[in-house]
Amino acid sequence: MRPLPQTDGPDRPFWQALRRREVQVQRCRSCGMHRFPATRYCAHCRSDESEWVAVAPSGTLETWCVFHRPYFEGLPVPYTVIQVKLDCGVRVFANPAGVENGALRIGMPVDAVFEDVAPDVTLLMFKPKDR
Amino acid sequence: MGAVSAVVGVGHTRYGRLPEFDAYELGLWALKDALADAGLRFGDIDGLIVNRIPDYQRFCEIAGISPDYVNITPGQGRFSGIDIETAAALIRDGLASTVALVYGNNGRSAGDRYGGAGDTYGSGGAGNWFPYGMTSPGAFHALMARRHMELYGTTPDHLGTVSKTFRDHAVLNPSAVMRNPFTLADYHASRYICEPLHLLDYCLINDGGVALILTSAERARDLKQPPVYVRGYGMATTLAGSMFPPDDFWRTSMRKAGAKSFRMAGVTPADISTLMIYDNFTPTVLFSLEGYGYCGEGESGPFVAEGHLALGARYPTNTSGGHLSESYMQGWALNLEAVLQVRGACGERQVKDCALAHYMAAAPVVTSIIYGKEPS
Repeated sequence: MRPLPQTDGPDRPFWQALRRREVQVQRCRSCGMHRFPATRYCAHCRSDESEWVAVAPSGTLETWCVFHRPYFEGLPVPYTVIQVKLDCGVRVFANPAGVENGALRIGMPVDAVFEDVAPDVTLLMFKPKDR
Repeated sequence: MGAVSAVVGVGHTRYGRLPEFDAYELGLWALKDALADAGLRFGDIDGLIVNRIPDYQRFCEIAGISPDYVNITPGQGRFSGIDIETAAALIRDGLASTVALVYGNNGRSAGDRYGGAGDTYGSGGAGNWFPYGMTSPGAFHALMARRHMELYGTTPDHLGTVSKTFRDHAVLNPSAVMRNPFTLADYHASRYICEPLHLLDYCLINDGGVALILTSAERARDLKQPPVYVRGYGMATTLAGSMFPPDDFWRTSMRKAGAKSFRMAGVTPADISTLMIYDNFTPTVLFSLEGYGYCGEGESGPFVAEGHLALGARYPTNTSGGHLSESYMQGWALNLEAVLQVRGACGERQVKDCALAHYMAAAPVVTSIIYGKEPS
């Protein structure tokens, strides 16, 4: 079994949204900047007024790497980690879904894939955007 | 205006596996060595900064000293440069006249791991990404290396050349842990840890300690060793948003820190004799060469391939073997090597007519220090 996220902490709305096939992040009520993981204060304007909002489940591939040394039980190597910038500006690390490493390109548009990995946990992964 | 401070003593332990020593003892071993080198006594130290040593009070108890000024910094490599710059500023402002910087690292024997559960690299936010398998400083640099390759055409051969060049230097350094030379073919055959990075792109985790003694330029002239002046120093950070690799490979902050240090020293990259580049992973060497102005943006791969970093070439770099082949002393041993090169005390690996050495780091906190044989 791969390591599982803490789904009942400050990021709970994010994990609950993934169960519903939706991407939600925090948005600052003062300046409108999106952010994730959750923080009390906005790093842009330092306001503590925020809300969780649904954002477009799409983004851009920024870079990737391939793990050959295992660090976690339940995650057999090799596996690929990608860095994606969501269209709302928030960055995440994730895994690619249904794409060979050789097809990965920086700047490639990607769409969210919702991967159920445990009865109550869904992870956010990405596939190349359908043309 | 000439340099205000100078390094007057350097010391270090053996590097490797030293399970019978803790971090305090490794630090004290190095400090004894540095004081002997400087011809100074424990009682001469009136300023102390310890790094990676767990507790400054305990260290002072063990060493039997009560300095006027004391500080402690966390065990991250970026703090070697920060501590040296702080020591220079303390001396300039008169808070202390003789500052000891003491580093002790028993990470190898203590079983330190960089990656996996417990990984707190950078901002400590790493755990958020464990479900995807994202962890370790090595992977962070692998992501940056891949992006550099895609944007600028940098190749695995370029990274391999960095590693091989430093190993060739380590062959000439009796203190280095890894002294067997290898070929680029060996590099490519070495296993991937986090692709595109191979085992030979990673630094070596070892036990060891390093100490440096700084004092005023004026006092330095009366001491045992030829002074190595701290001619210029600068620092800058990219900490906002640093959970993810920076878009600019830390170039903006390196330019800022580099400019400060070059301005203070009154020199340019064209005047520098040797480079000491923080090489936790080979890609940071490429980023540093671009950030501190030794080549243009995106040109570091071909620059390295042209052979400029080798002993005998224009910019001999990490002549000790660096973190990749001497030992990962988190910047401290590279600063020690800079001092020895300026003194002309490097034996077989001595850079000819070495007047100016430049230590630099590429990280969320960047530091740039220029050492010189002359005060101005």
